[in-house]
Amino acid sequence: MPMYGDQGNKLVQHAKRTQNLAHLPPYQTELVRGVTREVRDLDKDVASLLEPFQGSFDPSADQATACTLLVNHLSMRRNKRCLLAYHRTRTDKLEELAWAGSDVLDHAGQQPGGANNAALVDGGASSLSPQEEDYFRQFGDLLAACKGQWTDIDLTGSLEPPRDLFIDVRVLKDAGEIQTEYGAINLTKNSQFYVRQGDVERLVAQGYLQKLA
Amino acid sequence: MDIDDILREVDPVFHAVPHEKRDLQELTRAWIAERSAPELLHWPANGLFERINNNIKQQIEKVEEMTGDMDPKTNFALIVIQTELERYKYLVRSYLRARMAKIDRHTLHYLSTDALRSRLSEMELAYATRHQALLHNHYLSSFLSSFPPNLQNLNDASAGISMIETPDLECAVFIRLLKDAFVEGRGVDSDGSLDMRESDIVILRWADAKPLVEAGSAELV
Repeated sequence: MPMYGDQGNKLVQHAKRTQNLAHLPPYQTELVRGVTREVRDLDKDVASLLEPFQGSFDPSADQATACTLLVNHLSMRRNKRCLLAYHRTRTDKLEELAWAGSDVLDHAGQQPGGANNAALVDGGASSLSPQEEDYFRQFGDLLAACKGQWTDIDLTGSLEPPRDLFIDVRVLKDAGEIQTEYGAINLTKNSQFYVRQGDVERLVAQGYLQKLA
Repeated sequence: MDIDDILREVDPVFHAVPHEKRDLQELTRAWIAERSAPELLHWPANGLFERINNNIKQQIEKVEEMTGDMDPKTNFALIVIQTELERYKYLVRSYLRARMAKIDRHTLHYLSTDALRSRLSEMELAYATRHQALLHNHYLSSFLSSFPPNLQNLNDASAGISMIETPDLECAVFIRLLKDAFVEGRGVDSDGSLDMRESDIVILRWADAKPLVEAGSAELV
């Protein structure tokens, strides 16, 4: 027999698993709906239990009802926390992706083989809920606004301390021509270059180039 | 204390630290402190970041000017300047990101009182407010709006547990004394206190270390 909180528990397990995954698993629309429904049902139960008392319920006079109310109440709160935890874990992940500069929503296949994009597409359908897509878009805007205030620093740049000004990179995918202060470089697959780190950071993050130690 | 400090003591005029260097020192210290402290520290109010931004801009312009020059000597200077520039930018970036990460973790906490809000810079405040609004909206549209009204809050404190998480001020930090000071720390079983000399390093709870750091008698390491 399913118990109160079973579904909430499942959500938390999903959240826990998500923490250790590189990609975002599909949104559990059914579970979220189920847990929300449970909360509403519990709330209705509480209301109908309290109804005969007309607002003058005395817990010590009717301990059995008081206990039921308490359990219902706690179950509701627990479900709420499960839902919050589940959604927060996912938004954290989305924010991480936004910081990394990957375009989650651009999954229509314009960039074949884009590692970050593929991670979020599961069997052709997006693994985000429509709300999450909205959230991701808005957070991206927010981030862009913040970056705009620190243009010289490049807020989303690498958080590894810079060691060398120039690095060796190997091109993993054709990335076209880029402009550097020493002229244009044509990045064709499997070629190798010695370039300024700042010029190619973005491309490394996007998986076009590989840093060679 | 390093060699510069000693030189400065011997001859304060000749070895006075130039502006830029002091700013860098301040930035580095703020960066280290921000990364080690469990809670958000005050945004430097003395215009440090305006100065740093100007310096960065100047150096970028200089780099652009020098780029056209093919003289190998300039070329070498260029590499030195660019390397320094990259490091400088890294410090600022890492500092800002460390702060934003903390704000993200405990957004409602930092927005809850004026005293806490004043620790944030204007841009951070805008970011925190907007981010929290986005999150709240997301929760609302995902599930919260179909909840009974009395359960829709995000800042309940019922059953003795506040929904707003706060940073753990009791976690341990390392500090280096910048002046001789009397250090008191609370332990699990008993409290301890010690007369410490300059440049001594101790580990103690952040809550105990905070007054020392804020008074400038110690720095985080």
